[in-house]
Amino acid sequence: MKVTETMIKKRKVKDRVLQTVTLISSSISVMILIMLFFFIFQKGAGSLSFKLLTDDYWAKNYLLDIPSVQTGTYVKPANLPSASFWSVKYGFAVTDALSHEKQKLILIEYIDPASPLAKMTDASSGPNFGKAQLISVGMQIHKIGYVDINGDTRSAGTIADQNAKTLVDTLDSSALTLNQAYIKTTGGGIRGSIVSTFYLILISLLLAVPIGIMTAIYLNEYAKYNRFTPWLRSSIEMLTGVPSITYGLMGMVVLYPVTALFKASGTSILLGGLTLSVILLPTVIRSTEEALKVVPDNFRDASLSLGANQAQTIFRIVLPSAIPGILSAILLSLGRIIGESAALIYTMGTFVNDSPTVLTGGTSLAVHIWSLMSGEQPNFALASAISIIILIIVLILNISVKLLSGRLRKTWQ
Amino acid sequence: MENIFEIRDLDLYYGTNQALKKISMDIHRNEVTAFIGPSGCGKSTFLRCFNRMNDLIPDCRIEGKMTMNDTDIMSSKVNVVDLRTRVGMVFQKPNPFPMSIYDNVAYGLRCQNIKDKKVLDQIVTQSLKKAALWEEVKDRLNENAYKLSGGQQQRLCIARAISMEPDVILMDEPTSALDPIATSKIEDLIQELKRDYTIIIVTHSMQQAARVSDYTAFFLLGEVIEFNTTKVLFQIPSDKRTEDYITGRFG
Repeated sequence: MKVTETMIKKRKVKDRVLQTVTLISSSISVMILIMLFFFIFQKGAGSLSFKLLTDDYWAKNYLLDIPSVQTGTYVKPANLPSASFWSVKYGFAVTDALSHEKQKLILIEYIDPASPLAKMTDASSGPNFGKAQLISVGMQIHKIGYVDINGDTRSAGTIADQNAKTLVDTLDSSALTLNQAYIKTTGGGIRGSIVSTFYLILISLLLAVPIGIMTAIYLNEYAKYNRFTPWLRSSIEMLTGVPSITYGLMGMVVLYPVTALFKASGTSILLGGLTLSVILLPTVIRSTEEALKVVPDNFRDASLSLGANQAQTIFRIVLPSAIPGILSAILLSLGRIIGESAALIYTMGTFVNDSPTVLTGGTSLAVHIWSLMSGEQPNFALASAISIIILIIVLILNISVKLLSGRLRKTWQ
Repeated sequence: MENIFEIRDLDLYYGTNQALKKISMDIHRNEVTAFIGPSGCGKSTFLRCFNRMNDLIPDCRIEGKMTMNDTDIMSSKVNVVDLRTRVGMVFQKPNPFPMSIYDNVAYGLRCQNIKDKKVLDQIVTQSLKKAALWEEVKDRLNENAYKLSGGQQQRLCIARAISMEPDVILMDEPTSALDPIATSKIEDLIQELKRDYTIIIVTHSMQQAARVSDYTAFFLLGEVIEFNTTKVLFQIPSDKRTEDYITGRFG
């Protein structure tokens, strides 16, 4: 058959079209990714700060009595920032600020050691009543109660819709004595959620990785030609398709008694970790099995021909050669743990816990986002900031596992 | 002449497919026996009977008798791990473990729970010397075995097999992945090793069989067509098929 000119042309056009389609598809996916990152960074970068990582989420409140001795004029220190306002009569400086939730705050910038605000005592009933309570820079003044010239008790501070300037002006001009202060820490930080996330990673990896690896070894090495192995394998594969919220329900019902043995009541990080380890198992088993499969059979033959038994062959030769593959299984699991939210809502709870322990509830970073966005006033900026932090953590873990497995590959091959 | 192996009417099946048919032969101690024949004739399968490596293959069934020093090694009572320490094996492709040269040679001993550093050092040195590799690697025993050339890797595998001080070394086409120079080194080595070990070698190359072996068996479609001293088999083959094969008319 003769190849005509039109056939050549047709072929050329077809080739071009296919090439263009693949190019367009890849640029679309890259564009979407870039847009996503850009959007998240644009929204979240403003809320991102080191304080965000170290602060508690919930504000701490202090109701304090101000000592009655309040005489004197105080000298404004020279090194105060220009945006702060100085109270000559009471010896403290304040500035305006915005909270993580974008609410107006009056923050303490400086307190003179002789100022009445430096010698306040706890006014809330309880074991600390009457004890001195130091107020530190960075806390917010919610309310300062004062007595004016007419003898009336009034309030200043954010409670009276004031800002730093009006607060200082009011106190300096019309307050005779100050009586009580209501001071808060700023809150809005995610330290608790970060700690919870690491607990969660620890528990779920500690359970899922050894069990998963052992299962994979059984399936791929010991029971390779067993009649049940294909059944077992396909049921494990099926488990990867089960929605995680189903696992969450299962964890709540089936695994709760296990955590109850450890005296955990209700939702807890332990329960979340147990549930997640169940979710991770199929992934760990599958990828470990893949890693074991690519270990060449002639390693096994060589080891067995030297009089090693099967266990020695597996643990001295096969498993070490599979370590890079197993590490990437762990990496996949890490991504899953950090990204999981649905299964954790029922098992770990949605209440942001500032001092989480293994046996109490808490939120992982992802659930923290959920909890921020499901409130009455969704805080998109903070949610985006947490997303950025999640991205950074995933990136760091990714790189470190890659480096580690590259290193191991070098020593093992 | 003393026989180390005696094989009588050995049949081997993969499922319903018979791979070896009624094989009978005697393997002499401290001689080199070569198995030749076209691909798929069952010579490698037969070789793997000597150290029971066929146990690993599902649906593989063996009938008949094979004795080593008058004990039946096909019996289920035989300790396979123990048998493999007495019958070493070298494979077609050099397959050192991805670890140091020293660890490769010491691997078999360590699996036997021999941990004494002095004993290990001594056996490793001795084995490498016997495998004619010592001079080339003595200064870099801690280097990864994969840094060696293909021929060196294969000699390392031989050293690894020797380290167990076996009676027999099985070689499954040990030079098929090597260049001519490395091949001739291995062939010289086989001549050396013959003094201490019984060697059974499977080879594709008739010239190699002629060069290194004392006895040769010609396999065809799972049967031993002819088994005789190498000299006789190559010079005056008694079977037409052997003659056709060694003169290159097929295979």
